[in-house]
Amino acid sequence: MADLFDLPFEEDDSDARSNPPEPPAARRQVFSVTHLTIRIRDLLEEQIGQVWVEGELSNCRVWNTGHLYFTLKDEQSQLRGFMFKSALRYLRFKPVDGTCVVARGRLSVYEPKGEYQLVCEHLEPQGLGALQLAFDQLKKQLQAEGLFDESRKRPLPALPRKIGIVTSLEGAAIRDIIKVLRRRYANAHLVICPARVQGADAAPEIARGLRQIGRVPGVDVVIVGRGGGSIEDLWAFNEEMVARAICRVPVPVISAVGHETDVTIADFVADVRAPTPSAAAELVVSRKDEFCGRIDRLHDRLRSAARGRIQTLSRRVHVAGSRPAFAAFPARLAMRGRHAADLTHVLARALRNGLAARARRLQVLERQLATFDAGRRLGGLRARLVAAETRLNATINRQHDRAAARMRTVLGRLESLSPLAVLGRGYAVAWNADRTRILRDATSVAEGDRVRVTLASGELDCEVRSTTE
Amino acid sequence: MADTSIKDFEAAIAELESIVKKLEEGDLALEQSLELYERGVQLSRFCHARLEQAERRIEILNERGELKPAPASLTSEDPGR
Repeated sequence: MADLFDLPFEEDDSDARSNPPEPPAARRQVFSVTHLTIRIRDLLEEQIGQVWVEGELSNCRVWNTGHLYFTLKDEQSQLRGFMFKSALRYLRFKPVDGTCVVARGRLSVYEPKGEYQLVCEHLEPQGLGALQLAFDQLKKQLQAEGLFDESRKRPLPALPRKIGIVTSLEGAAIRDIIKVLRRRYANAHLVICPARVQGADAAPEIARGLRQIGRVPGVDVVIVGRGGGSIEDLWAFNEEMVARAICRVPVPVISAVGHETDVTIADFVADVRAPTPSAAAELVVSRKDEFCGRIDRLHDRLRSAARGRIQTLSRRVHVAGSRPAFAAFPARLAMRGRHAADLTHVLARALRNGLAARARRLQVLERQLATFDAGRRLGGLRARLVAAETRLNATINRQHDRAAARMRTVLGRLESLSPLAVLGRGYAVAWNADRTRILRDATSVAEGDRVRVTLASGELDCEVRSTTE
Repeated sequence: MADTSIKDFEAAIAELESIVKKLEEGDLALEQSLELYERGVQLSRFCHARLEQAERRIEILNERGELKPAPASLTSEDPGR
């Protein structure tokens, strides 16, 4: 039993026995639970007040009221914590279990449960900076949603009609962009939606700007960005609302934030990332340069292809003219002089008409181009195009003339095969008296009939003395 | 006129490309070659027009979604630093 007496319980018991008798009930100070709890609360709130405390987050839970409940713990102890929705909004990272944090807050007591807790005003992650953590978290989330996927990236328009820009009117970025565009694409049409790009209002303003600019008719590419600064200065471009606004712009978006080395969430979701605002302007314009080169090359090819076609066709006419069928023509012409003459004439007319029609069409095209060019003067770019077109037309025309000349040569040969030419070689054509019919058959005339004979030079009026079959 | 048959700058370029290809590959009649050439000229005219179409203009979009001309200070070569 002696052991039992050594136990604290027994000791308390013996203490109680050795203590002086309790004061009478009337002199006792009896607290209600609430009263005592309030005293404890006052004591904690006054004595400890605002504190900084470090530990690991666990049991993090945002209730549907929007407030955050969590437990802060280390190896031996735990502390309940609570954070109002209003304070939670300012956190730049998402509090999740396992994060080591430093919390600032006030100790308070939750009377209904008799529990004390830390009413947290601010949380920041230990080690990794809050911004870095926030960046990593958002990046991971958006990536998981597929917002960085290559398949989402839209190509920039070949030649932007209107270039939308969301940035501050006060910053260096807008001046850089305008300067570059003026230099490389003088007649660029810009629509600028001013937005603060720094501070607490920046993210909502940029997001609004992106929404608005996407609705402007004709805007077919958007640059969003700002000049260089600290990570805090650039922070708006790491905000979720800006990232989502970029994704929702109906036309391609170029992000242009800070310097080459600054990478923001906006860069990941944008269709194209430009290292700087000037580079963004160059990206838009270089597309145009690319196109001019392409048009030039197309003109070259169009010209030489058309030239090739015409050469081939001319050659064919040439070859046709020297075929055996044509070579044997003279003999047959002797028999069918008139027919050949007719044929020659028809062929020649058809060829001439065809050529003339085409020549007229080329002339019309040239005139159209001429009136088109007569207007405003253009920069070097357009001048290049005009030069290419003029060259193209001149070449086509020259080739056409050459083709026409070759056809004339062929026609000349056909002419040389005409009855008159044949007559020059000693043949003669015999006609009936009124010269309406060529005589091909001796039986078609009778003794005493008159016939006419055409020679190379002059005609004979003859009388048939006899016929032989 | 025939320009309504051209959708946009990119389409014009694409068609010009296909015309060149056809001329280069196809064994076409002179008539057809000239037709294609004519269309090619038309397309390049369209491209010219588009290059000129963008106006040298800077506008500011305000919060009510209205477009206003930009202040001259923004476009001056020297911002007055």
